[in-house]
Amino acid sequence: MNDDAYEGARLGKSDVVLKTTDLEKAFGGLVATDGVSIEVDRGTITGMIGPNGAGKSTLFNLISGFYENDAGHVTVNGEDVTDLEPHERARKGLVRTFQTPRRLEGMSVREAMLVGPGPQKGESIFSLFFSGSDVTEEERGNIEQTRELLERFEIGHLIDQPSTDLSGGQMKLVELARAFTTNPDILLLDEPVAGVNPTLANDIKRFIRELNEEGQTFLIIEHDMPFIMDLADPIIVLDQGKVLMEGSPDEVRSDDRVIEAYLGGAGP
Amino acid sequence: MSAVSSWVSETLVRDATERRIFATLGLITVLLVVGVLTGVIGPRFLLFQIALVGMYALLSLGLNVQWGYAGLINFSVAAFWGIGAYCAALLTAPNSPLGLGLHPVFGFLAAIVVSAFVAVLIGIPTLRLREDYLAIASLGLAEVIRAIILNEDQWTAGSSGISGIPELLSWLPLTDAATTAAVVVVLIAVVYLFLRRVHRSPWGRVLRTIRSDEDLAKALGKNTYQFKMQAFVIGSVIMAVAGAFYAHLNLYIDPSDLVPLTTFYIWIAVILGGTGSNRGAVVGAAVVIAIREGTRFLNDIGFIQTLGVDLAPLRLLFVGGLIILIMRFRQDGLLPPKDELIWPAARDGGGAGGASASGAAPDGGTASNGGDDR
Repeated sequence: MNDDAYEGARLGKSDVVLKTTDLEKAFGGLVATDGVSIEVDRGTITGMIGPNGAGKSTLFNLISGFYENDAGHVTVNGEDVTDLEPHERARKGLVRTFQTPRRLEGMSVREAMLVGPGPQKGESIFSLFFSGSDVTEEERGNIEQTRELLERFEIGHLIDQPSTDLSGGQMKLVELARAFTTNPDILLLDEPVAGVNPTLANDIKRFIRELNEEGQTFLIIEHDMPFIMDLADPIIVLDQGKVLMEGSPDEVRSDDRVIEAYLGGAGP
Repeated sequence: MSAVSSWVSETLVRDATERRIFATLGLITVLLVVGVLTGVIGPRFLLFQIALVGMYALLSLGLNVQWGYAGLINFSVAAFWGIGAYCAALLTAPNSPLGLGLHPVFGFLAAIVVSAFVAVLIGIPTLRLREDYLAIASLGLAEVIRAIILNEDQWTAGSSGISGIPELLSWLPLTDAATTAAVVVVLIAVVYLFLRRVHRSPWGRVLRTIRSDEDLAKALGKNTYQFKMQAFVIGSVIMAVAGAFYAHLNLYIDPSDLVPLTTFYIWIAVILGGTGSNRGAVVGAAVVIAIREGTRFLNDIGFIQTLGVDLAPLRLLFVGGLIILIMRFRQDGLLPPKDELIWPAARDGGGAGGASASGAAPDGGTASNGGDDR
């Protein structure tokens, strides 16, 4: 959105946005995440694939703080966030979406979008009454930003719709747009095109690429192979809670271990 | 007059069905006024009912902050109401066990402070957990508060209750009934405007998000525990203020009103009016009280007397029937929330700014008008 702000933020930060070190998580006897160490470089779209049960979602929950890890560390921009709550991690620039977005009852798309930016002055009751004009001004800015972003994502006409009326694909777009308004250092997308029709999936791919060209870093879990192979580089392959390999889409495609573990011997 | 009616139609009425609902309410008001003028209804009785409806409206507004906005399941409405009522009664009645006889202002202040304290106390262990934990804990709290008031009679006068609570603003040149009715109207206006401001804001939007999907709010960087605590405390304080007012309305208070039924009347009022809607909370409270109080007179109707049955105890049945009808024909309540999360000045200003900034604005402008009429 704001290139100057982005460049400014970028100067002071290392080139690894997200790093996990020997992350471990077990549910009872089942080891879901078994010593995972990954790095996501600034400016990349990093993909994450793996067969069902490989531990992708668990890893996402560990990174975003929704699960507590048994061992290991998560760092964002070189800062250890392992002990922080999910909302504190989000404020450090680590923002995620969910696989199945829930509709926000009684909220229009505009209102649902406006939850994104933060922290907003108007989230404090004190400010609402004692610096009301600042709040209104900030609201106007956010409303304008919302309108522009929705138009850019080609869903500007939905701005007044109840968010409960959106299709699954439209909701995914709103989710992506809203997550982007938090001005994150890294966006974690959990299956951004699951259940989305091919046309809209292509739009989503295009928008992710556009945001990335403007400097936004992504880490994306996706089951749709053509989608992720086309979009992401590098790709991290998880299997049975461990990192199986990491490489370019071509390397992943031709790797025997991946073919064996994930693709069951068939090509992608 | 036309300015007033256009204000009413723009800020309160959103569609044709709502117009009919408000027309019905207006008609009932006219009938009541005619009733008073013709002497069928005593003005004193009507004013007392208005004060009672007002008190229930305050309770509904309080619950609406908690349940309608933040999705907090609070089954201790009666307890917070009782805390307020007993704070007022104990501090102001000369013959209460404390025997202080203070000015009513201190009663209200104590109600606010004590209820906020209790709300924080119950919120700390429960608001970090799933929503059902607050539901269970608040059910317990309601019984604990009732048991304490009932049994610690050296402090609370127990089941014999406290009488001699002073009237509010008795120096005003109005009858006592008119004064209490005026006080409750002012209280509702203050609370309503306060809630309107906090709901039509980023604060209100975060709460509404928490209600639908708390994890999403966390993922967007919102400290949901803090927001839920604020909503819980604000709602509880409003309930306690309603209780303090009731003490000065009824001039007598005992623990028999602290039963779960009181809590569920408020839940019914909020659901009936439209969960999450402040307009709805007020209307819902009026409807519930109208049914509850109106059914007292059923047995006075000649036709029913000839049937030889006592219909008054069936009032819960009427309330239940109404709930079923509402759920069948108007699931979101009488006056569901709409466009209540953005301050009008910010929203309209944003649209106008867009008009000068980009060519796509006419589209946005008509769309936002369409939203109001929807």
